Amino acid sequence: MRPFDFLTLMQFCWAFLAILGFSLRSNLRGIRVLFTALGGGLCWASYLVILYYTESMLLSVFLAISIACIYSEIVARLMHTPVSVFVICVIIPLVPGRSLYYAMQAYIGGQSSLASKLIFDVLMISGTISIAIAVVASAVQLWIRLKADIS
Amino acid sequence: MNKLSIQHCSKLALKTGRIILESGGATNRVELMMKKICISLGYPDCESFVTPTGIFLSLSDGESELSTSIKRIGQRRIDLGKITEISRVVNCLETDSSPKNSHNKSEYLESELNRIDTQKPYPMWVNNVCGAATSGFFCLLFGGSWSEFGVALIVGFLVATSLKYISKLPINGFLLNALAAMLIVLIAKTIDIWVPFIRLDVIIIGGIMILVPGLQIVNAIRDTMSGDLVAGTARGVEAIIMTVGIVAGSGAMLKIWELWS
Repeated sequence: MRPFDFLTLMQFCWAFLAILGFSLRSNLRGIRVLFTALGGGLCWASYLVILYYTESMLLSVFLAISIACIYSEIVARLMHTPVSVFVICVIIPLVPGRSLYYAMQAYIGGQSSLASKLIFDVLMISGTISIAIAVVASAVQLWIRLKADIS
Repeated sequence: MNKLSIQHCSKLALKTGRIILESGGATNRVELMMKKICISLGYPDCESFVTPTGIFLSLSDGESELSTSIKRIGQRRIDLGKITEISRVVNCLETDSSPKNSHNKSEYLESELNRIDTQKPYPMWVNNVCGAATSGFFCLLFGGSWSEFGVALIVGFLVATSLKYISKLPINGFLLNALAAMLIVLIAKTIDIWVPFIRLDVIIIGGIMILVPGLQIVNAIRDTMSGDLVAGTARGVEAIIMTVGIVAGSGAMLKIWELWS
């Protein structure tokens, strides 16, 4: 699959609509719903594009979550909303539900070594997501403090 | 200046904290919001300690009076709308410097809190349709075809409907997730009998994505980063337990179906 083609656009749309449903289910109201959905689509599309260029799953998860978190920090400030409201919805497409299911299926099927590899994938991906969120949150805090010190 | 009584102030701050925590807010946000309220109502000397299951708040007027209160948090659910509303109200309270009288501010805060607390969520059909959409589009996202999309829509709709009733039962998060995951597998397997040529795994993954604990992961990280180690650990364990519930539920149902058929 090449980046920036029709298929990526379709995937962006599916992620957009899925996160739209998710944020409405968590009772978010108003125009913010559209922006969380846009963030979810952005997160998934940037994951696909970066995966194509770097061919490293963990690096692309890290970069995609960082992009999505920076997007949330900017939009949340513009809309006077807590940042975590956006981050919660935006990261959902990359939460490793798929690897988790395949790991469980492999374990039930008796393929223990495949199952442990997949479980390790799940742990690595969720760890990477956590690190990306933490890095962006700390960097933004530092930036705000530096700006306050200068002015 | 006409000052608010210390008990009334702590009551308002605790109510704000309770609403944020019950809607799934991060603990450092609760502490920040309660501090802002106490300062804008004229009690800058306040200390709070918040865990995911309870709030401790101590207020002092700087002289003789001291008020300490504890609030236990029972049920917790996800309601991002309430968190947004409350932070808007509190920021209004903080920036609005015109009424010097703290009684006006407290009346405004109290009426807004009552309005937010009794605010109705979206009607049930919106909730169910959104559950169906989430499940269906995640199925497409992970490589499902259009017929699998249709099945995932039905699965998502039925699971979102039954989650509403399951969450009314007095059970914990682990069992709730396990039951919901079992239902996903059961419905998908049942539909599989009549609809040929569908891959069940993408449908079940689409259903599972409704249940994944994204909120707990984000809150755990943000709490830990802001130094709330107790809350961060508790949320992290909650996320792990919910994940184990999902895996155990779906795995158990797959195995039961295999044995039965």
